[in-house]
Amino acid sequence: MTIRLADIGVRLDTGGLGGGAAALLNEVAGLLERLARTGKPGLIDLRNMPLDEFDRERLHAALGEGEIEATLRTDGISRFRETGTPGVWWIEHRDVRDGLIAELLEIAPNPDILSSPAEELERGALALRARLDARIVSPKEAP
Amino acid sequence: MSNATIGELLVRNGVSRRTFLKYCTAMTSLMALPPSMGAAMAEALRAAKRPSVIYLSFQECTGCLESFTRSFSPSVESLLFNVISLDYQDTLMAAAGHQAEEARAQAMKDNDGEYLLVIDGAIPTSDGGVYGAAGGRSYLDLLQEAGKGAAAIICVGTCSSFGGIPMAEPNPTGARPVSDIITGKPIVNISGCPPVPEVITGTLFQYVSMGKLPELDALGRPKVFFGNTIHDRCYRRPFYDEGKFAKTFDDEGARNGWCLYELGCKGPTTYNACATVKWNNATSFPIESGHGCIGCSEPNFWDKGSFYAPLSQGAFGKAGNVSPRDAAKLVGAAVAVGGAVGLGAAAVSRSRQQKLAAAAPDKMKGG
Amino acid sequence: MDLLSFARGPLLQFALFVFALGVVWRIAGITLLRRGKLLSEPRAPLVKALFGGFRTMGSRSWPHPEFIGRTGAGEALGYSYHIGMFIVILAFGPHIQTWAGFLGFDWPALPSGVITILSVLTLTLLLAVLFRRLTNRVMRLLSNFDDYFSWFITTLVIVTGLMATAHFGGPYETLLGLHILSFDVLLLWFPFGKLMHAFYIMPSRAINGYLLARKGAPS
Repeated sequence: MTIRLADIGVRLDTGGLGGGAAALLNEVAGLLERLARTGKPGLIDLRNMPLDEFDRERLHAALGEGEIEATLRTDGISRFRETGTPGVWWIEHRDVRDGLIAELLEIAPNPDILSSPAEELERGALALRARLDARIVSPKEAP
Repeated sequence: MSNATIGELLVRNGVSRRTFLKYCTAMTSLMALPPSMGAAMAEALRAAKRPSVIYLSFQECTGCLESFTRSFSPSVESLLFNVISLDYQDTLMAAAGHQAEEARAQAMKDNDGEYLLVIDGAIPTSDGGVYGAAGGRSYLDLLQEAGKGAAAIICVGTCSSFGGIPMAEPNPTGARPVSDIITGKPIVNISGCPPVPEVITGTLFQYVSMGKLPELDALGRPKVFFGNTIHDRCYRRPFYDEGKFAKTFDDEGARNGWCLYELGCKGPTTYNACATVKWNNATSFPIESGHGCIGCSEPNFWDKGSFYAPLSQGAFGKAGNVSPRDAAKLVGAAVAVGGAVGLGAAAVSRSRQQKLAAAAPDKMKGG
Repeated sequence: MDLLSFARGPLLQFALFVFALGVVWRIAGITLLRRGKLLSEPRAPLVKALFGGFRTMGSRSWPHPEFIGRTGAGEALGYSYHIGMFIVILAFGPHIQTWAGFLGFDWPALPSGVITILSVLTLTLLLAVLFRRLTNRVMRLLSNFDDYFSWFITTLVIVTGLMATAHFGGPYETLLGLHILSFDVLLLWFPFGKLMHAFYIMPSRAINGYLLARKGAPS
């Protein structure tokens, strides 16, 4: 009889105290207030927090669902979801094997990593100009 | 062996800024650093030059290298292409023979005083070090030469950190850890048999991005990964605290995921990251899979008694835990000697009593 | 060799040997002494006299009603910390495993939280006992090195045990090493001081009871 990973019993009764969620939400609120006041963004690493499933549910419920979902495709998929609380983004970074390598809350107008880097704007413009000058307009010939 | 910065190499290799930032974010999280450091780390790395890394393997089973190549994040490929310049590694490099040795010598010369020396395996020292040799030179010789020009030495695995299995009783080859042979150079011990992959890559990554070695514990291990015992972070701890122990590997307790203390778990005295970082991309670790910790990141773990005898059991002799037979033999011998001494003591006392009785016959009649 | 390996290895082996040797030596040394002849007529058959001995082991384990007022507090204190110690030694999981190594079998454990509470209580009582010894003039006059050291080493084992469990005061393996080391010293000291009462009290009461019962006196 083969035993699946899910069959190996681990019965832990944490009782769902939920204290972790309340503390975390307080921190989020504080960072959001700072963002509104000074414009300084903040980050919270969820992976290194002692959160159990009850805490996570509470966190989801308190923050809510927003309007935007973004996907970053590089070295695995990363998902960015705006929560129902403006300025609070829930980020999941996954690797090529879909393993979770980082999970964060970013408190910012939008996640920093999504912006196109300023240094690359000029390069992009030059590359596009070069293509136009060489009259390469068909997608097949695009670099 | 390039003079380009990591940032330039990233562009050349087509690694986008976003990819690199994602990768730095993951590393920051893994090392429990503040998440805001991810961006700073990425910037620091982009401006840095890739260090030359010379990886020498001695008395080892190659398990540490196998572990290293299984690192998920950062993946070893991304590490090798972007962050370090691995100028010599027996197993991974394509070159072999004289050319490989010449390339190594050249790398060491070009980067003298700056290269990172990574060592796995212990070093046999008996009989002039003849029990381990590569390319006609003893490991001892190779280590001493390579150690001279290294900026720092990173010992990967318990063998190079503490001696490991080659040094276990009776240590026929006179195996020694690196720190017994090289002095005067900063040494980091990334112990474990093998170490957790991300612990190896994380430490290398931290060295390159911070430009200095991480904070170390009394045994020279990075505190960020070796600061807590397995017991302190074990998810089965509530069962230990409640006194719920599995008695055999297949009983009710084992199936319910109870504490493995009675099955020999050495978690309480073992410092490593297995319980938090885990193995195979956070899939599991020995205790979660039902087997007690064997203490593989600690010195002399092969000689500390059975892996299956509880920590609180005595361990007489070289590798033996106390058994009822051992106890009976010991107590038997002690009883025999004690009995003899007691008889002697009694004889002395009795003769004294006799003298007293003779001196005052009314007071003490008979015997 | 590190502290923990030494304490649970060679030193434990040596301590057990000395303990067994010492206990047998002292018991043999006492039992083989000459005894005065029993000059009185036996007023009870042998079986009854033997039974009397057994009875005395129990009857002398409780103070006579006339004395309870005076000795009750001390007796209660003594019983309490002895019972506390026995439960901790025999019902704590890791301790049971130590026994199992020597005996070959084990038994169910109590929850470790309960053991911690009992240990703290026992320690408090031991401190109270020392306080009494130091503040009572008569006790102070009568006390010698044996009294103080036996108290000290017993208390040290409990204190180091609690520190190890609480991970307080240093790295765990050092605390555990100190706990086992103090236990080894206790074993080494045991046969040579007042702790031998563990082996003496019941036989002593039984023999006295037998002698009295034989004489026909109440015990």
